[in-house]
Amino acid sequence: MDKTKDTVKRDPSLLVFDEKTPFWVKLRSKYLTTYFLGKVAWKVFRFVLLVGISFVILFPYISKISGSFMSREDFVDVHVRLIARHPTLDTYKAIINDNHYWESLFNTATLSVLCGVVQMFICSIVGYGFAKFNFKFKKILFLCVIFTMVIPHQSIQMAMFMKFRYFDIWGIYGAIAKLFGSTAGTPAIASLLNTYWPLAILSFCGLAFKNGLFIFMMRQYYKGVPDELEEAAYVDGAGVFKTFLRIILPMSIPMMVTVFMFAFSWQWTDQFYSSLFFKDVTKIRLLTNIVSIPKSLDTEYASKTLYETAIRNTCGLMILFPLIIVYLFAQRTLIEGVERSGITG
Amino acid sequence: MDNVKQFETEPQAVPKKKKKNVSLDKKKARYGWFFVAPFLIGFFLIYLPMIFESIQFSFMDTSTIPGGGLAKTWVGLDNYRYAFLENADFTGKLIGSVKDLLFKVPAIVIFSLFMAVLLNQKMKGRALFRAIFFIPVIVSTGIIESIDLQNILASTQSSMASFSEGGSMQTTTNVGTQIISLLDVQEFFSSMKIGQDLVGYVLWVVNEVYSIVEKSGVQMLIFLAGLQSISPAIYESCKMEGASAWETFWKITFPMISPMILVNTIYTVIDSFTAQSNGVMTFINDIYSQSKGMVRATAMSWVYFLVVIVILAIVAGLLSAYVFYQRRD
Repeated sequence: MDKTKDTVKRDPSLLVFDEKTPFWVKLRSKYLTTYFLGKVAWKVFRFVLLVGISFVILFPYISKISGSFMSREDFVDVHVRLIARHPTLDTYKAIINDNHYWESLFNTATLSVLCGVVQMFICSIVGYGFAKFNFKFKKILFLCVIFTMVIPHQSIQMAMFMKFRYFDIWGIYGAIAKLFGSTAGTPAIASLLNTYWPLAILSFCGLAFKNGLFIFMMRQYYKGVPDELEEAAYVDGAGVFKTFLRIILPMSIPMMVTVFMFAFSWQWTDQFYSSLFFKDVTKIRLLTNIVSIPKSLDTEYASKTLYETAIRNTCGLMILFPLIIVYLFAQRTLIEGVERSGITG
Repeated sequence: MDNVKQFETEPQAVPKKKKKNVSLDKKKARYGWFFVAPFLIGFFLIYLPMIFESIQFSFMDTSTIPGGGLAKTWVGLDNYRYAFLENADFTGKLIGSVKDLLFKVPAIVIFSLFMAVLLNQKMKGRALFRAIFFIPVIVSTGIIESIDLQNILASTQSSMASFSEGGSMQTTTNVGTQIISLLDVQEFFSSMKIGQDLVGYVLWVVNEVYSIVEKSGVQMLIFLAGLQSISPAIYESCKMEGASAWETFWKITFPMISPMILVNTIYTVIDSFTAQSNGVMTFINDIYSQSKGMVRATAMSWVYFLVVIVILAIVAGLLSAYVFYQRRD
């Protein structure tokens, strides 16, 4: 009897439980092991780390939200940090009334949905083409896709502006117009500035912001789809296009939602294209144009810079608000889609 | 009428069909052209001319004609000479941005790999943490990024700690310094007798934690996708052989994820070079709005692009030597 006790003391794993074993011995042998304690320590560490980084991410938004409810007295008050002493909705009201919020929201929503949907379909189609067909020059053409990804649109912004200001394809129209005695310096079909056309054309051709990345993502996804699936459809008498529409597209919905979310939200907060193609604010007002100090708010006060920063942040918050709602609905599909994509080199 | 048409087309169709029957694969391959057609049309009709014009513009001086249109005059390398010799800031900014990149890219890649491994583990609230971590991908772009660039609101509000301790108001530059006091970290590391450079680097990372977290969203997604594609059977057999978590990470996860590290490094380089907050980018944008600025900005951005390409080539060349590819049948 004593012998067994000794061995058990040396190696607790040899302990044999029965009905007579006291409760606390069971407890100790289960929870007071290095394995269990290490696991708990790791879990605590992980949790603290994740919460900490989540805080770092969320804090700017918390501060934006709290700042948006403050009146200008609160910015001078040293006791006020995050919770306003004189809460007010004036900032929101002023932005909505003075900065044409609803009009800009409608325009941006139209533009973003248009771009998002078009890019989603075009990138899936092109990605499918690159993934599943072995036509000539495929590798070179795919290099072209990578090429569009690497060149920032900023470096061709002047050419892009000219292209859509004097829209013409290869100067063909210009040459014809000159033949017929056109006197304009640069004859063009039309000026597409201040319309949705430039972004629509870029989206239709898979050339808009980061579309190279989307095509790449879709291609990687379709490469993972087994060929047998399509072969089965062919055997059943479906053509290439029918197979794509009926089998492949419904399958890739999570991935397409991902692409849509990226395209949609990057267009929503975009500043570069808005300032390039929509110079005339009176024609089309976009959400980027609302970031300014409303006239009805008097900022001439002790803490002017802080107050104006808070107003600008409130503008940002109002731009983000619809986007966050869309994100909340789509985030599960989004993350699933990326996980399944297998962007595997 | 129908009969006639049929009669006409039939003799042509027969030999063609014979040709197509030679290889069904080739016939199918032709359909590929239909799928990539949108991109092809756009690339050759719009994108290439734009690139061509843009390169042209960088060698030219332009002015608008009152009647509408653009007058171009060839000035040779004038714009490039302006960028390198006349403009005082350009070369400095260029070197600064490359330096910044050398610091930032490893930090972003390592951080996003670490976070992806964490977020890939099974735990409570994983969906919530993932949703929070990907907020910056969706939100912190474009206009929001440029608002945040000059944001003193968050720092003023978070300076509560230093206010109550020191008794006087200090405005700190960002949130990172608030969470961990830099002095503590410095003491901690110097007591561990680690080289000064490494300490400086870690301090810099802690200082920049927000911008690193913000920039590593897409990378995290790519790593997560990669981690999901590793077969669980490998991990199981590892566990059976008695490997610890540490060994499993370095022997299994790391080699398997190494292609993704390459992809992510390249993506990070491109992303941070083309980001709106990049110093050179903002500088070029400023130049763009000046008089004569359009052509000069174009020339500068081509110089910038060449630098990016060279760096990309170096990075890709160095890393691809170490990448492990799983052989698949």
